Amino acid sequence: MRPLVYRRAASLAEAERLLAEHPAATLLAGGMTLIPTLKLRLARPSHVVDIARLAELRGIDGKDGRLTVGAATTHAEVAGAVAVRRAIPALAELAAGIGDPQVRNAGTLGGSVANNDPAADYPAAVLALDATIETNRRTIPAAEFLVGMFATALAPGEIVLRVGFAMPERAAYRKFAHPASGYAMAGVFVAEHRDGVRVAVTGAGPGAFRWREAEAALAKRFNAGSLAGLEPDASGLNADIHASAEYRANLAGVMARRAVAAIQ
Amino acid sequence: MRKPVWPPLARERVHFVGQPVAAVIAESAAAAADAAELVQIEYRDLAPVTTLADALREGAPQLHAEAPGNLAFDFESGDAAAAEAAFAKAAHVSRLTLRSQRLVGNPMEPRACAASHDAGTAIYTIYTPTQGVNGMRGALSALTNVPRERLRIVAQDVGGSFGIRSPAYPEHAVVMAAAKRLGRPVKWVGTRSEVFLGDNQGRALELTGELALDATGRILALRWDHVANLGAYATPFGAWVGTRNLTVTMGGVYRIPVLYGRARCVYTNTAPVSAYRGAGRPDIAFAIERLIEYAAAEHGLDPIEFRRRNFVPAEAMPYKTANGTVYDSGDFAAVMDDALARAGHAGFAARRAEAAARGKLRGIGVAAYLEAAGAGAAPKDQVRGRFGADGFLTVWTLTQSGGQGHETTFAEIVASGLGVPIERVRIRASDPEADLVGSGVGGSRSLAGCGSACRVLADRIVEQARPFAAEALEAAPEDLEYARGAFTIKGTGRAIGLFALAERLAGPTPHPLDALGEGTFGATFPNGCHVAEVEIDPDTGATRIVRYTAVDDIGTVVSPALARGQVHGGVVQGAGQVFGEQAIYAPDSGQLLTASFADYPMPRAGIIERFDVHPHPVPTGTNVLGAKGVGESGCSGSLPALANAVLDALRPLGIATLDLPFTPARLWEAIAAARGRALSRRAHAPQV
Amino acid sequence: MAKVAMTVNGKAVALELEDRTLLVDALRDALGLTGTHVGCDSTQCGCCTVHLDGRSVKSCSMLAPQADGRAILTIEGLAGIEGPGSGDALHPVQQAFTECHALQCGFCTPGMIMAAAGLLAENPAPTEEEIVHALEGNLCRCTGYVNIVSAVQRAAELMRG
Repeated sequence: MRPLVYRRAASLAEAERLLAEHPAATLLAGGMTLIPTLKLRLARPSHVVDIARLAELRGIDGKDGRLTVGAATTHAEVAGAVAVRRAIPALAELAAGIGDPQVRNAGTLGGSVANNDPAADYPAAVLALDATIETNRRTIPAAEFLVGMFATALAPGEIVLRVGFAMPERAAYRKFAHPASGYAMAGVFVAEHRDGVRVAVTGAGPGAFRWREAEAALAKRFNAGSLAGLEPDASGLNADIHASAEYRANLAGVMARRAVAAIQ
Repeated sequence: MRKPVWPPLARERVHFVGQPVAAVIAESAAAAADAAELVQIEYRDLAPVTTLADALREGAPQLHAEAPGNLAFDFESGDAAAAEAAFAKAAHVSRLTLRSQRLVGNPMEPRACAASHDAGTAIYTIYTPTQGVNGMRGALSALTNVPRERLRIVAQDVGGSFGIRSPAYPEHAVVMAAAKRLGRPVKWVGTRSEVFLGDNQGRALELTGELALDATGRILALRWDHVANLGAYATPFGAWVGTRNLTVTMGGVYRIPVLYGRARCVYTNTAPVSAYRGAGRPDIAFAIERLIEYAAAEHGLDPIEFRRRNFVPAEAMPYKTANGTVYDSGDFAAVMDDALARAGHAGFAARRAEAAARGKLRGIGVAAYLEAAGAGAAPKDQVRGRFGADGFLTVWTLTQSGGQGHETTFAEIVASGLGVPIERVRIRASDPEADLVGSGVGGSRSLAGCGSACRVLADRIVEQARPFAAEALEAAPEDLEYARGAFTIKGTGRAIGLFALAERLAGPTPHPLDALGEGTFGATFPNGCHVAEVEIDPDTGATRIVRYTAVDDIGTVVSPALARGQVHGGVVQGAGQVFGEQAIYAPDSGQLLTASFADYPMPRAGIIERFDVHPHPVPTGTNVLGAKGVGESGCSGSLPALANAVLDALRPLGIATLDLPFTPARLWEAIAAARGRALSRRAHAPQV
Repeated sequence: MAKVAMTVNGKAVALELEDRTLLVDALRDALGLTGTHVGCDSTQCGCCTVHLDGRSVKSCSMLAPQADGRAILTIEGLAGIEGPGSGDALHPVQQAFTECHALQCGFCTPGMIMAAAGLLAENPAPTEEEIVHALEGNLCRCTGYVNIVSAVQRAAELMRG
């Protein structure tokens, strides 16, 4: 790791000030992506600004059909929170399957969303649960927030405060984990809302995406059978030493059917 | 053998990604890493060769002037002409190419060393994980030209070795040179990335077997053509793996009148290959048992009966194979019957049908393996027992435990030999001052070699103590009997305990009861039958190992719990190879693409759902314990058993063979293709 | 330089470290607590697992200053936590690992034990499946995990009394 300056912000205002003063600063919450990246010297921030303990980034609240979760909430806290389990059990289940216990005890919702790893689990939930990302400056709808591989709409100095999820009628998430990394080779979040079905796929492509064809099929009849033989188009999916795009397309189909079967 | 020089720091040409090119010494690791970023090296890219096929291609880039055609050497064993004749008259012939893909050994402790140099005595003290101080001293001496007697090696707890902690590495030499130049101790602790890139790697073998059968299904001849990827340089064991270890048991448990094997060892721009858990023996066991299964399916033979018909029968022991290896003992049919019964082999059809009803492909795989163990480079094995003022007997050995539990097993042997409580015996390896002769850990030989020497030591101590006991008891030595840790005058109650006697004699150094246990112990042939049962999800290609039964003839078992632990570990390391592990180098750049645990799948908890391990000992006469060795047999059994199980599950789809590793992606593709799906691109081909 | 004040194995410690110091390096190098091991550089192997305010984390993936004001428990302190004066006795998880021959080379063991203790603190009677899930972040190269899973089951029994 290169030399850097660590600052723990005592308040949101201080975090904003530190980011403004140090253009090469980066935010640190759970650090589950940032610290390994720093260790491999793949990033060179001058400062890291620790926001993990900010009160402004804490809290879980469900009302008016939306569940709001503070950005500094760890995956383990999301998995265990009664409010989450009651409102969106599939979200709690998703969080319980991220990484491993040690990672879940440190990694945060906000960090995961802001990192937008194309194989992370949360981006699928963010899309399927019509989430809004609330920052210190504005509120951004999920579809506009997730821009591409490791890219988001966040501007310099912008900090994710909380994520609001629409509570679905019913939902489920199924993933096929990469045998080495544990990240999603393909993960599919299926959510049936009052106003329609959303199906979001992570891991298979260069970023999480909504699978409209599956949504349309499920809107007609919410049944695993409706997805028989359906796969996302492999041409836009990832191919690497671990698996072909066609394999990932197949997995997306299989995981979608299993998610639907789980909530039928 | 054409053996190019392997310089500790690359000169002129860097032969593999991971080869050290420069060293920075600093006050802290962080400072050294900061400084290392400032090192600027101008590289001119040369075309790499990473695979056997690339290296042997006409016009391929040449790595070393000493090795034209990138060939280190061409080796043969057995009778080529007799094999040719046998194949000419065969009723059936089966031919199969198998690849044992390149692996990264990955002991959990990364490689490390610390060295200091005493300018007065010119002695280097080197702390490093190793498999035995003598071997490391020799290897380091060869690497650095420092005489053996000026190398003091200290090894204490070793966090896993598996063969790849046996050789000396470039970093040892660099750290020694730096310590001498600076006059201060210098330490290097590798990261996991450096383990992936810089440790010797394992396997990387391509084995082509041909089996000649008569009309009744008897094996007439077996012929092998092996190609071993040595990596960029020849390690001390790389060529041994690719030649001797592949051919010494090339007929496995079968009575085969004619055997012939050829092996070529090839240089490539990849990390050098060395011994890794089994060092060629699991690979040949895998190849034999895959070929047996394949041939049985090809010619409509029941694979169990086919094996039984061709086993070396117990009454043929000792049995000399067609290429001259002598198996001293074994009862292969009884071991297989035991395994089949314990695995519920007869009831498998019902389990397969039940799985099919759930949409899963279930398969069962049998492997009757045999491997050579016990051979060691040293002419004999010695251990020394020393009675200390602290009331303990300390036994110094040369085998450095990396988790095998020598401290327990050897203490049990000495304590039971002496009839004293195990708490009174302490095992210490790697005495820096030791002048003992013997081999280190390797080839599953520690129990047969060092353990036998421990057994001899116990007898020596008793004989050495007898006259002193006689003196103490004022009796004639021949009137004493020794039992339960004490000398007693026959027919009386007058006795003196061994440790009481030792206390009485304390003072002079060495202690009068200090003794040397030694002997020369022969090769052994651990064997067994493993039965694996797997269930494949055809939708995802994921495999569950639902049941695994290991029945092993490892000879006499000294410590049952430790032996079982070795089988568990070996079998799961094999499972890692069968289901996911592989080192892949990019063919165009020579970069290792699987250089972290995020890209290299290690086995994790729960990989085998139901695991039964049973010893089936047929003691050997080649050592005083009757032990055959267990360190590597798990891999030799599990590679073929698991591979056969997967291919049994796939056979109804018309899939007769498939390359390792059986990742979910590869299995799904094979299944999808067999079911008629047109695939535009297949997963990455296995790399050897 | 960063000032880090934390509780380690029940004792207050104050350190002054380079800001970039990893928690594991602070424990090993500054405090001499070398029972916590480093087995990888990608947050996969779990050898460096410690408890942070009672929950298992990977100390190689945290800066030491992040632990300022918090309580760390390492393998060296585990034996003492079952009650006052019990510092010499093994923790039930350590006891179970010994009984079940759940370690070979021992390098992964401290992390494995801390992960298991973390699980049992939250779930005193885990199923085999839950144990396997809880050990997903810990690699072992020697044991094949068979005896480790048995040891966690045994530890649960010991802790239930």
